[in-house]
Amino acid sequence: MMERPTPTSGDSPKVGIIRHLNVFTAFALGALTAIIVWRLSLALLPADSESAPLFTREDKITLLSMIGWFVGFMAGIGALVAPFRWVMGKDLSHDENMFLAGKDMGTKRYFRYTTDHKVVGIQYLIITMVIFGIGGILAMLIRANLGTPEGGWIHPQAYNSIVGTHGIIMIVGTIIMVTGPFGNYIMPIMIGARDMAFPRLNALSFWLIVAAAIPLLWGQFIGGISTGWSAYNPLAGQAPLGMNGYIMFICIFALSTMVAGANITTTVVRMRAKGMTWNRTPIFIYGVVASVALALPAFPVFFLSQVMSGMDRALGTSFYDTARGGSGWLYENLFWIMGHPEVYVILIPAVAALMEMAPVFTRRPLFSFNVAVMGIAGICGLSVLVWAHHMYISGWAPLLNAPFMLTTELISIPTGMLFLVLIGTLWRGRLWMTVPTMSIFALLWNFMIGGVTGIYLSDVPADAFLHGSMYVTAHFHYTLMGAGLTGALASLVYWFPKMTGKMLDKKLSWISFWLVQVGFNVAFIGMFFVGLQGQPRRVEAYAAIFNNGNLITSIGAATIMTGMLILLAAVIGSWRSGVKAPMNPWHAKSLEWTVPNPVPLENFETLPIVTEDVYGYGRKS
Amino acid sequence: MPDTNTPYFTGQWWKRKDVKRHAVLWVILTAFIGYVGTEVQVFAMGAPASETMENVIDLMRIFTWAAAPVAGFAAAISIGALMGKRHYGDNPPPESEHAIRNSPRAIALWIVVSALMCLFALVVGLIALQKDDARLLDAKAIHINVVGQQWAWNYDYPGSAGVRSEVLHLPVNQPVVFHVTSKDVKHSFWLVQLGVKIDANPGQFTEISVTPNKIGTFDIRCAELCGLLHAYMQNKVIVESKADYEAWLASQPDTGKTTWVEEKADA
Repeated sequence: MMERPTPTSGDSPKVGIIRHLNVFTAFALGALTAIIVWRLSLALLPADSESAPLFTREDKITLLSMIGWFVGFMAGIGALVAPFRWVMGKDLSHDENMFLAGKDMGTKRYFRYTTDHKVVGIQYLIITMVIFGIGGILAMLIRANLGTPEGGWIHPQAYNSIVGTHGIIMIVGTIIMVTGPFGNYIMPIMIGARDMAFPRLNALSFWLIVAAAIPLLWGQFIGGISTGWSAYNPLAGQAPLGMNGYIMFICIFALSTMVAGANITTTVVRMRAKGMTWNRTPIFIYGVVASVALALPAFPVFFLSQVMSGMDRALGTSFYDTARGGSGWLYENLFWIMGHPEVYVILIPAVAALMEMAPVFTRRPLFSFNVAVMGIAGICGLSVLVWAHHMYISGWAPLLNAPFMLTTELISIPTGMLFLVLIGTLWRGRLWMTVPTMSIFALLWNFMIGGVTGIYLSDVPADAFLHGSMYVTAHFHYTLMGAGLTGALASLVYWFPKMTGKMLDKKLSWISFWLVQVGFNVAFIGMFFVGLQGQPRRVEAYAAIFNNGNLITSIGAATIMTGMLILLAAVIGSWRSGVKAPMNPWHAKSLEWTVPNPVPLENFETLPIVTEDVYGYGRKS
Repeated sequence: MPDTNTPYFTGQWWKRKDVKRHAVLWVILTAFIGYVGTEVQVFAMGAPASETMENVIDLMRIFTWAAAPVAGFAAAISIGALMGKRHYGDNPPPESEHAIRNSPRAIALWIVVSALMCLFALVVGLIALQKDDARLLDAKAIHINVVGQQWAWNYDYPGSAGVRSEVLHLPVNQPVVFHVTSKDVKHSFWLVQLGVKIDANPGQFTEISVTPNKIGTFDIRCAELCGLLHAYMQNKVIVESKADYEAWLASQPDTGKTTWVEEKADA
């Protein structure tokens, strides 16, 4: 991290209350508001009547306190200062805007409502690493409990909660893992912009995630999330108070995603450098935009589904309560209308990042930019039409199984285009052997297994056997982790020099790469095996025949953990005292490598003019 | 930028050495992936106990063998690239000796082949789906109500006896239609070795049909997280000869608790 002399405070009288607000005031005000709301609602809310369903009063108190936390936190971080000024008919002064951008603030700006996209990018990188750390620990707890067939090491309620929490925070972590750090830090520089279109929304999108994290944590202490990450109703309706933590977490996170999506989309559409036509826009930018644009219709639905879930719990409505005329199928539909686009929200930017790196490390042009764009667009278009393949055997609409099988299998065509672009770029290239290069091969391998098993699952009769088994769990780990995380880790190695000014330790990142990839394949091939043998998902005990497969999975998981810890050591070590990175260590042609290290505020002294695309490698004969 | 390269696939391109090498790799890898992929999966799935499960196993075989050439192709190109010019060091290798950006023929071929494979997968799936759906209408079938609740299954048998059992008994080679529902939350009724599964939704009946063709004891598991003891919500299905089944049914006491009503059978 860059160290700059901090200006003495008080020399800038034009900076108002903003100067006093940071993450500490945010936590303090959030906690204070939550406590006040909690005491008030305890005192004022009437007791449940005879006719009211169970838990209602406690649910009201919990949800209100969490909303209190949220409002207090956002006020305490300073998100409300600018809107408040605007309502008063004023605006922020120039000095205040520079203060918000983090000018001459040193490391302090990472703990404030800072609008500089580079600060937000680093903040996203750190929170992604924290999320993967916690999710990884939970995964190891799951594996530890599955060490013996009888289970029993962790109480079933706690185990179910660990499974649910692992699921939802890993989903959130993978959603932000590429578009958060690299979409915010690298993307504006890559398109030749000085910042995002809406810098304050950028800061907002990050701090919303921090605000969302606390209700989820809170939920762990009041009964946990014992429903799995999908939180199906009516099970979620009968789950303990911790479910409210999930509901608030999703609502706030969905807000963050919508804000970030609007911001990134606008930035790319409006702020590309002069001459950067759509044909000269790097494929990574397409990936990022496709991802957030796909999230724009998906996450409002998720938001809504959880608002309705919360109303069922706290206000006695019956959207999903089957005993009183509601429908569990309604919840499933809303959930998967978000849930299936969401997996491509995760996958597309990771694959696009590797397509961006493929020309750099094979020293030849991207094989067919147009097909890559077509593939991304095709996946986006189809992905909103496939949600009910998660519900083939739910009984909701058996007659729709065939059409949904069709749309699902059609997705293999645009996905195949992405494969074609990658292998076409590898063909006859000169390989520069780096971790990102090998990550392309790892992605091809993992994504092929994830994709082909996806075809089995898209087939209704085969799904009638496979659905709800460990096979499904292994399948989506292959796509989201084997393909998605591989792309994100390659992005980290690739853009680390620009983001930190240091090279990532080569030896350690190689060791980590092999441990993670080998461990991953061992773990999830084992999981495929027990799934085919008939082990259901989300069980804390299993029959003795699944013993060997689970043991193999646990060994693989421990290997992944070792690899990830080594990577963490490499990141921390290199960030603190790594080799200083040159301006363009990979000799790449995209714009982010034309700015010096550390990247100055507002990125470019003079805005660049683009005359060709970034893939002009290879000797012209 | 204009493409100044001569296209790669001109003249007798199939005689090029690297093309031949990749073709050999492709064939070997396709055979390897197809064989290992099917054998490992089929081994894991164990012995089928119904025609439905036999169909599922066949589908896994067909899809794996259909996917093998694609996976083999990607693997052949990957291995070919890795066996080619590799460069280590902190500085990039010289740029590639060509700058091919496109190949309309290769792209068109790729898209056509993937569309055909997609169509193939769809047709295979539809045929299998059609067979499963037709079974629901079998007039010879016996009908059994399945009621899931946290955390057990109950089976209600047809007829006036009012038989309710906690263990599922089925006659061999006899089509059965299950009418599945739940008392509380969503469960999923999975007859593992029989290869069928259907969700149990509170307040709704869902139907599934199967014909067990092997005598023996098989597993029933709940495949949808349903709360605290989801992992333990499993029991057995005993498939027995027609005579044994009749004898068992006759020996069951009238519990007076059965949910069986004749109308449900017509649904």
